[in-house]
Amino acid sequence: MPWHLIGQNLRAHKLRTLLTIGSLAVAVFLVCFLRTVVLGLEAGVVGSASNRLIVQSAVSLFVDLPLGYQSKIEGVPGVARVCKQQWFGGYFQDPSNFFAQFAVDGDRLLETFPEMQIVQGSEEAFRASPTQCLIGTGLAAKYGWKLGSRIPIIGTYFTRSDGKPWEFTVAALYESKSANVDNSTLWFHFKYLYESLVSKAAEGPLGVGVYVIRLAGGSDPVKVAGAVDALFDSGPLRVQTTSEAEFQRQFVTMMGSVQTFLGSIGGGVLFAIMLAVLNTMLLSFRQRFHEIGVLKALGFSDAVTFGMLLFESLGICACGGLLGVTASLASASYFARSMSTILPTFAITGATTAMGLGLAISIGVVAGLFPAWQAMRLECIDALRAEV
Amino acid sequence: MAETIIELKRVTRSYRRGSETVSALQDFDLQVPVGAFRAIMGPSGSGKSTLLNLVGGLDRPDAGNVVVDGAELTGMSPAQLSRFRADRIGVIFQAFNLISVLTALQNVELPLLLHSLGRARRREQALRALKLVGMDDRIHHRPAQLSGGQEQRVAVARAFATDPKVILADEPTGELDRHAADSILDLLVLLNQEFGKTILMVTHDPRAAERAGAVIHLDKGQVDRIVPREPVSEQPAGR
Ligand SMILES: Nc1ncnc2c1ncn2[C@@H]1O[C@H](COP(=O)(O)OP(=O)(O)O)[C@@H](O)[C@H]1O
Ligand SMILES: [Mg+2]
Repeated sequence: MPWHLIGQNLRAHKLRTLLTIGSLAVAVFLVCFLRTVVLGLEAGVVGSASNRLIVQSAVSLFVDLPLGYQSKIEGVPGVARVCKQQWFGGYFQDPSNFFAQFAVDGDRLLETFPEMQIVQGSEEAFRASPTQCLIGTGLAAKYGWKLGSRIPIIGTYFTRSDGKPWEFTVAALYESKSANVDNSTLWFHFKYLYESLVSKAAEGPLGVGVYVIRLAGGSDPVKVAGAVDALFDSGPLRVQTTSEAEFQRQFVTMMGSVQTFLGSIGGGVLFAIMLAVLNTMLLSFRQRFHEIGVLKALGFSDAVTFGMLLFESLGICACGGLLGVTASLASASYFARSMSTILPTFAITGATTAMGLGLAISIGVVAGLFPAWQAMRLECIDALRAEV
Repeated sequence: MAETIIELKRVTRSYRRGSETVSALQDFDLQVPVGAFRAIMGPSGSGKSTLLNLVGGLDRPDAGNVVVDGAELTGMSPAQLSRFRADRIGVIFQAFNLISVLTALQNVELPLLLHSLGRARRREQALRALKLVGMDDRIHHRPAQLSGGQEQRVAVARAFATDPKVILADEPTGELDRHAADSILDLLVLLNQEFGKTILMVTHDPRAAERAGAVIHLDKGQVDRIVPREPVSEQPAGR
């Protein structure tokens, strides 16, 4: 195989080669990026704990449960602890500064979610007063919050009667050891929310979004879930108890269309790039028409001319693929940081880079095959007769 | 009488052009002895290029046999024909046909890639061929940086580098001025006389044809006549 000829041909059309490599790099980068986003969306399911159950309304996640359910659920055999969890849905200064805030039972949070580990401050400090909060290290890093920082949160479902934002004081920073709990959440006391609502200092629904059950060791999650559901079978509000994984999957399913959307963007981009590479290769073949005839006259076989065009295409695509993968790896930490609040898990996996490279190479094969086949079939005398 | 290296027996080759069939060679017979230098002349369309293509295994006859250096080309597969060309044939074109992106040296090395030589041997052999044609001072030039005569000399080196038995040249001086043409013809004579290459050279130029041992005149796809060179010009009488 005359490798240097392949190399020289690529170099001879530097601009064309570089543009093609560039477009491939962009496509591969995008695909790696999109796949990482999709994997990030699914991370909650993958990392879910098996010793937790979630109780939600059987009607919809958006229907709150009565406060009184907590003690009833706690009475079910196999249940070790029950923690309220209410979606707060506020924002810091501007709606674009979005991150999750949950109102929870402050004295039960950490035993329910042992994967959260306090790295600064203490649990005692958090429990000390209802306006204290616990934030993830990612959140702290993003906004420069420290222990003692006061965080004003503008409520959306829960608004304060005085029109001012809610305010929480950072008592501790946590770091999560598992993907199902991210490092970008603000946890605060349900008690604070409850008292504000009851005293009319704030307005909003008085209820609990979900109850998180921490199972006792050795208990059967299916049995416990059945027992909890049975508890409220006759009302007033029926519940649905699921594993944490199942619960998380709901969100992914809700995002389902997003994934399909991202997937089709990726697919469409790849297809367009494939056509672009094919076009480049056909152009290359047409320009090389005469040269291929000369090579055959010199004794190069049909197989070699086939290989030349194919390897040319593969070379371009492999370069583009490598470049795209490298770019995505190089920028991963930047994206992980800037998207930490909406997509806590953003890590480019080995499988993703392998997929990026694999796709680039597949494009190289697909786009190179037709021109290579034409080069193979080209009759030497026809090529030579076609005057240049 | 020297042994025959090229033999065409009752060869017919025609081409379809639209609905009509154009006959390029008809019932064509020819024998060329080893070490001969033959010029091929004839009007345009008389089948000269077709003859070279058949001998070089670039084209196949519709009927008849082509035997070159003991190899029967008619029954060969495309891959076998490629191998045959790589091993035994050197080609020189009217339009030089150097690969534009490669240097002179790389162009000459190109056919050597088809022979299992080491890198060093390949370079050495290419350099030797370039030296022979007097282009060893421009080995890193690309075709665009060379004159037509220089390009053709590189092409001669390329045809010769693999040490083929037969060299086929289709109007090698057709695009050259007198001076450049003469230097190419000198080289062909050298390859023929010093290296024993059998050469078939298509030409329109009677002065070029004079350098060959004999001229094969084609007409309408058949050999019209074969005219040996006059002994006078072959052996200039010393005074
Ligand atoms: N590939 C081809 N397709 C169609 N016709 C061809 C082809 N090659 C040669 N011919 C025709 O065959 C005849 C002989 O061609 P050629 O051998 O090229 O003649 P010459 O080289 O003597 O000018 C011409 O009429 C030419 O047009
Ligand atoms: Mg011709």
